[in-house]
Amino acid sequence: MVLSQKLHDAFKGTVERITGPRTVSAFKEKGVLSVTEFVVAGDNLVSKCPTWSWESGEPSKRKPYLPPEKQFLITRNVPCLRRAASVEEEYEAAGGEVLLDGEDNDGWLATHGKPKDNKHDEDDDLPSMEILEISQKNPIRSIPSYFGGEEEEDIPDMAEYDEPDNLIETDPATLQSTYLVAEEPDEDNILRTRTYDVSITYDKYYQTPRVWLTGYDESKMLLQPELVLEDVSQDHAHKTVTIEDHPHLPGKHASVHPCRHGAVMKKIIDVLMSRGVEPEVDKYLFLFLKFVASVIPTIEYDYTMDFDVGSSSNR
Amino acid sequence: MAGHDSGSILVFAQFQSAVDEGFWHRLSSLKLNKLGIDESPIPITGYYAPCSHPQVSNNLTLLAQSLPSESNEQSSTAATSRGNRNRCPIRGILYNTNTIESFHTLDKKSLLRAEAKKIWDDIHTGRAVEDSALLSRFLLISFADLKKWNFHYWFAFPVLVLDPPATLVDLMPASQYFSLEEAESVSAACNEWRNSSLTADVPFFLVSTDPNSHATVKHLKDWETCQSDGHKLLFGFYDPCHLPHNPGWPLRNYLALICVRWNLKSVRFLCYRESRGFADLGSSLVGEALITVPQGWRDHQSLPNAVGWEHNKGRQVPRSISLAKSMDPTRLAISAA
Repeated sequence: MVLSQKLHDAFKGTVERITGPRTVSAFKEKGVLSVTEFVVAGDNLVSKCPTWSWESGEPSKRKPYLPPEKQFLITRNVPCLRRAASVEEEYEAAGGEVLLDGEDNDGWLATHGKPKDNKHDEDDDLPSMEILEISQKNPIRSIPSYFGGEEEEDIPDMAEYDEPDNLIETDPATLQSTYLVAEEPDEDNILRTRTYDVSITYDKYYQTPRVWLTGYDESKMLLQPELVLEDVSQDHAHKTVTIEDHPHLPGKHASVHPCRHGAVMKKIIDVLMSRGVEPEVDKYLFLFLKFVASVIPTIEYDYTMDFDVGSSSNR
Repeated sequence: MAGHDSGSILVFAQFQSAVDEGFWHRLSSLKLNKLGIDESPIPITGYYAPCSHPQVSNNLTLLAQSLPSESNEQSSTAATSRGNRNRCPIRGILYNTNTIESFHTLDKKSLLRAEAKKIWDDIHTGRAVEDSALLSRFLLISFADLKKWNFHYWFAFPVLVLDPPATLVDLMPASQYFSLEEAESVSAACNEWRNSSLTADVPFFLVSTDPNSHATVKHLKDWETCQSDGHKLLFGFYDPCHLPHNPGWPLRNYLALICVRWNLKSVRFLCYRESRGFADLGSSLVGEALITVPQGWRDHQSLPNAVGWEHNKGRQVPRSISLAKSMDPTRLAISAA
C-alpha cells in the first residue's frame, strides 16, 4: 500500500470514529446519503431487484449506526462474460507492459500499455455523463489473447493430489463436464465466464455507497483481487479501483474508491434536475449502480430501472 | 424440440460449489481457537437459489455463516436467517482432517453412503415431505494447512441412483408448455411464493393449474389433497442449472422421493429458474420423466447406490486454494509496510 494511502486511511478512520453519521439529508446539494437514506435506498433496490439482498456480515465488524440485519447489500454469482481489459481495444495500440506503481510489489502491470492521454476530458478520474452511454457506443469485439496474471507459486498443482483418491463414479445420469469451456481448443474463443459477488457498503467518511467486488473463475474458484482488475475499465483500474479490507467481510477485496462518488452523483442529479426530473432519494442506488457500470462494464449485475427515477415535473 | 429426446436417459447437471473466503477464515479460527485436533464432523449450512441468469448456473455457496460460530455454538442454527430468497439453506456436514494423509485416505465411498442414508431415511419416514430442503444434503471433506494457508477440499452432493435410470418423454421451455394465461398465472404464483419470507427458501413445491388456467403453488405435503381436485399438477423445484436441455441436480432425489412416497411412474416436473430475480418461464423447463421403480426401493432397509462427488474441470478430483495472500500474517505485514 502506498504511504499516502495509508496515511489517508488512518485519518479517515479517526474521523469516522469521532464524528457521528450524517443525519441531515444533503442528497440534492452534495450527492451524498445519510445513513437512513442509505437504508431507504437499499430497501428499494432489494424490492425492485430481488437478486440483491441485505446481509449482516461478520458480527465483529458490525456498524452500530446501521440496523444489524441491514449492514450491507450483496448480489452473488453475477456473470462477467468477458474481460473489460480486453474489450478496450484502444489500449492495445501502445502494447508492452508498463509498471504503474514502482513503490513496492503491489504495483500493477498495465498489460495493455499506458492509457492514451488524448480525448479524455480534464477530469479523467471522474466518469463523465458520456461514459454512461458506453455500452451503446462501444460494441463488444472479440476477445484478444488473454493475460492470465502472474502464476501464484503457492497454489498447489492439482496433479499432485489426484492419484491417491481419484475415484470414478460411473453413472449414466450425470452430465459429464459441467465445466463449460473444457473442450474448447482455440484459446481465443474460450468463453471466459467469471462470476462476481458485488456488495455495496455505506462509507461513513464519504457519506456515499461503496462498491466491492469478489471474483470467481470459470470453475468457481476465488480470484486473486489483482485479477479482478481485468474486469475494471482500464481508466479506473489503476486509480479509482483499489484492493482493501472489506468493512463487513474477511479478506482483501477490490473496491471502487468512493472519493468522487458524491461529486459524480451530484452531477447526475443536476443533469436530471435540468431535465425537469425531481430525483427521489430511494432511487439513489439505481443511479449509482448505473454510473458504477461505467467502471465495471462487463459485470452484469442487476439495476434494472423500468420506472421513473424521480417525479417528473410535467406529470 | 421434444421429439428427439423421447426415451433417452434423463441426464442431470451436477451442483457446483462456491466457497466464500469468509468460510475459510472462520474455519481457520475455529480450528485454532476451539477445535484443536478434534476431527469430529461439523454440521454446516450451504446456501443456494434458483438460477437467475441465462448464462450461469447458481452454486451451492458456503459463507462464514455456514459454520458454527466460535463463541455461542447454540445460536449458530438460529442465526441461519430464514426467509432470504437468495440463500435457501441446505444442511451439510464437514469432515476436516488434521493431515493431508488422512484427507486422502478418508473412505469417500462410505462417507457419501452415510449421507445418502440420511436422505433415504428422510424420504421413507416422510420428513423430506415436511422439510423438502433435506433432499439436497451435502458433504464436504477438507484439510486446512494453516502453516501455508492452503485448503484442500472436496464436495459431494449425494443422490440416490435410479436403476434403471429415469427416461425423458419430453422437455421444453415452460413458456411453450403453458398457455399464455397459464404462464402468466404460474409466474405470478411462483413470484408470490418467492416473495413470502415463509416460503422463499422452500426449494421443492407443487404447481397446480385448474381448468380456468389459474395456478397455485403448494407445499409437498398437500400432494394427497391435490389428487382429488383434477387439476394439472407439476413437481416444481428451484433449479440452480442454466442449461436448456438438462435439469439440475436437486431433481434426482426429488424423483426418488416421488417414486418411493407416491409410487408414480410418470412425473411431470418444473425446473424453476429466474431472470433478474423474477420467474422466467422462457428459461424454466417442463419435462416428463418415466420411472421404473427399482427393485428393493419399497424396502427402507435396502439403501440404493449413491453418487455425487463433485467434478473439477471434468474430473473427479479434490480442489485446493491458497489464501496466503489474505491470511498469512507475515505477508500481510509486508504488504502493509
